[in-house]
Amino acid sequence: MMTLKVNGQNHEIDADPDTPLLYVLRDDIKLNAAKFGCGLGQCGSCTVIVDGNAVLSCVTPLLLLEGKQVTTLEGLGTIEAPAPIQRAFMEEQAAQCGYCIAGMMMRAQALLQKNPKPTDEQIRAELEPHLCRCGTHMRILRAVHRAIRLMDTADASSATPGRAQ
Amino acid sequence: MNAPVILDRRRVLAGGGALIVSFSLAEAFAQDQAAPAAVPVPNPPGSLKGSPFLDSWIRIDADGTITAFTGKVELGQGFRTAFQQIAAEELDVPFASLKVVTADTSRTANEGYTSGSHSMQDSGTAIQYAAAQVRALLVAEAARRLNLPAENFRTENAAVVAPDGQRFAYGDLVAGDMLHVQAQPASKLKDPSIFNVMGQPIPRVDIPAKVTGGAAYVQDMRLPGMVHARVVRPPSYGAQLTECDTSSVEKLPGVVKVVRDGNFLAVVASKEFQAIKAMAALSAAAGISPAVVKRAIFGALDELALGWLLSGRRTNLRKTAAEVAEWLVRGLLPDGEKP
Repeated sequence: MMTLKVNGQNHEIDADPDTPLLYVLRDDIKLNAAKFGCGLGQCGSCTVIVDGNAVLSCVTPLLLLEGKQVTTLEGLGTIEAPAPIQRAFMEEQAAQCGYCIAGMMMRAQALLQKNPKPTDEQIRAELEPHLCRCGTHMRILRAVHRAIRLMDTADASSATPGRAQ
Repeated sequence: MNAPVILDRRRVLAGGGALIVSFSLAEAFAQDQAAPAAVPVPNPPGSLKGSPFLDSWIRIDADGTITAFTGKVELGQGFRTAFQQIAAEELDVPFASLKVVTADTSRTANEGYTSGSHSMQDSGTAIQYAAAQVRALLVAEAARRLNLPAENFRTENAAVVAPDGQRFAYGDLVAGDMLHVQAQPASKLKDPSIFNVMGQPIPRVDIPAKVTGGAAYVQDMRLPGMVHARVVRPPSYGAQLTECDTSSVEKLPGVVKVVRDGNFLAVVASKEFQAIKAMAALSAAAGISPAVVKRAIFGALDELALGWLLSGRRTNLRKTAAEVAEWLVRGLLPDGEKP
């Protein structure tokens, strides 16, 4: 048994310590957002945020996560109250099949938490490890730029900036 | 000589085609409606050809619930939203008031593969014509009830409106098998100049769930008592499973069962990663005919070498062919060494 903190809630997890975080999120905690893509840390669709950093959950074993804060896309906002990055992706219609999108959004979110005003070049470099077979790249970039503006507005008006930490 | 087909990620992407292989159950309940269709309608449009009954495409329940059906799979093309627009437009109902059911072998028409950009032209067309004909049937029913000619009736907001303003909600007009009729050769489609749902930039209905962690994919289905399985893949085509001691794998945590059937080997476990670990252990325990492996590996290497040579030297195929033959006969040599 191990306690895992996901989206601000503690979960008692009964799984082998070598179990990758992805399976714990999907199988034990029943969260949908983090996706199995390649299982080898090569596509980015499983990306979540751990203590502020974008982490590939399919290759990160449970034993490394003791005492750490895990955030998944579910922890940012909901359909009814979307976080700025979620609103931005909806407004830009930045998904075709959408399978890679949760991972893209989590890495973009981690980037924006560290650097609220990244350049286009920095965004492209940051999202480079993520694969999107549909070819939604240009919309994804537009959505990240829109998220920057939305977060900026939210900060300026001190409105609720989603539930992101 | 036959030029080899060389596929890599970039070329596949450049082709831009998605081939999604679906399956169909020949005897599926909702798909056997073609059988009693003794009198085929001459050349019905789109997928109405294969599934001519209107209620294969549009269903209206007594409580007013309206559903459009498609045998195509939505995987980001956006047609779920587009079909909802089409059905709403031709039925004269608000966009948000109807649901679209996609590719459900027990409920939707069998439209075969979802591929080749055929969803709009085949399924979208069927829905458009079926919706227009359903609307005409509803108008005819309201006119029949008032014993008036149908021409002076109109439709709006999921209701038929009589010349005197009397309204009949669609749900009140549908009775029994009224929509279980075959499509007619002629449909009275709306004039595109009065469209107010089609042609509008409506946000895709599937995106909100996809950006908030909602259930959006088959992987997100969690059925009661569901277990996970993994198949042990052989290293090569034609490999034989010679021996396999499964007893140690059966004792691993979470393992429900090891399944062996001839050369097929798989493991079932309560949790997914338990199945993956058990599969790896099983794979290590399985004896696989080595001769086959060796032959297959060298065959694959030959193929790779051929593909690499031809992809790099397209200008002189005759010369290349001779080189390839040399390479294949003498085997692969380290970089820089000529055969």
